[in-house]
Amino acid sequence: MRDPRLRILSTILLSAGAFISPVGAVAALLWWALFTPRLKAVPHPRMLSGVVLMISATAIVSELTGGLGLLYLLRMIPILLIAAWAFSDRQESELLDVSVWMMGKRTGFDIGLMAEMGLQGLRMINQDIVQVRQAMEIKGMKPSVRNLVPLAANIVINQLRRTEETAKLLTVRGYSAGGEIEPTFLTERRDLLLAVLASAVPILSLLAHW
Amino acid sequence: MRAELELMASREGFSLRCRASYGPGVHLVSGAIGSGKTTMALAMAGLVPFDGDLRFEGVESKVMSLQFPEYHVTAASVDDEVRSWGLDPGEVLPRAGLIGRNAVDPFKLSRGQLKRLNLACVFALDPDLLILDEPFSSLDCRAKAKVCQAIGSRDGRITMLFSHERAMLPRVTTLSQISDAELEPLGAVPGSIGRWAGAPPYLRRALEHGARPRNIAMDDVEEALCATRG
Repeated sequence: MRDPRLRILSTILLSAGAFISPVGAVAALLWWALFTPRLKAVPHPRMLSGVVLMISATAIVSELTGGLGLLYLLRMIPILLIAAWAFSDRQESELLDVSVWMMGKRTGFDIGLMAEMGLQGLRMINQDIVQVRQAMEIKGMKPSVRNLVPLAANIVINQLRRTEETAKLLTVRGYSAGGEIEPTFLTERRDLLLAVLASAVPILSLLAHW
Repeated sequence: MRAELELMASREGFSLRCRASYGPGVHLVSGAIGSGKTTMALAMAGLVPFDGDLRFEGVESKVMSLQFPEYHVTAASVDDEVRSWGLDPGEVLPRAGLIGRNAVDPFKLSRGQLKRLNLACVFALDPDLLILDEPFSSLDCRAKAKVCQAIGSRDGRITMLFSHERAMLPRVTTLSQISDAELEPLGAVPGSIGRWAGAPPYLRRALEHGARPRNIAMDDVEEALCATRG
């Protein structure tokens, strides 16, 4: 999907539809299977499988203790897959563009900038984790509860240092609030069609729920 | 003792082709920032996937010093950080110039101090193969000179030095350079000095003045320049 506005809208609609009812979850899963590159769009398969594993464990415990664990799992799987697709399809600075388009050059710019910095931070944390693993391997260390705290501190402190540097850089460049940006979007006919189909999912889900 | 590699190392969508053989001595691998020095260093340390062969003969221990010293930190105090390498802080901290900083959080140290601490640890381990990725970064001239001295004192062992340092370099055994995603071994020093495209300015100027230094260290270049001037 080229137009980030429609991709974000579709993601929200599909996620809401999947969460409202199992019918919506199945419809969202169908949408994902038909209109996305499916598993090829998963940016970090190991990370996603880890999250799925955690959600599955929660679902099983819930089911065994009398809750609706399996239904919860059925709802969460499409939400995760849709999120993975939306993340993998995103382009640099598009959150800033969408935010400015929605909320203007002051509030929209600030919120968009925060969102972009957050995503950049996630990428950097991912790189930090790789480096910390390598450092542990060099020392012949195995992950343990004892060294979990300093390792987590390592990642957090690195991130805080980078954030401070970015804040200083923004100040030096004269940023106080808002900014000048003229977002442009390319909307293809397919994007519109997929967004319309995505909007049918929560409607279907609500009908099934009632 | 020998390290032989014929491989294609990959990291973050980048691939580097390497074919080289390194015996005891100091081997400088140079290249522009982003050329692939870290990728090769990590491949030699077995920390990134690669296709091909990486063989070690007589190498029983290997250690790598990462470019950014923060990533090495796995403990909450300088003392514990040294111990995490299996070393005695009493021996390492004087070498790192950090006497009395035993209880300090490593993250409270400056990057230069942290780099000195990390380098003091890896040199103290004295492995058969020592891989140094940008060991001079964040260091002042005095600390760089000490690193050169420590590198030079590793007799009979393999030291792989990955660096784009332009001011202070140790005496080396061979030169290699990376360009266009490929390692180019230039051969032994001094024969390879003239072919070294990444030579630092002081060396390049000396070569332009007709000097023929025996090695790439500043002392060797000054000596060669003096000889040229008579």
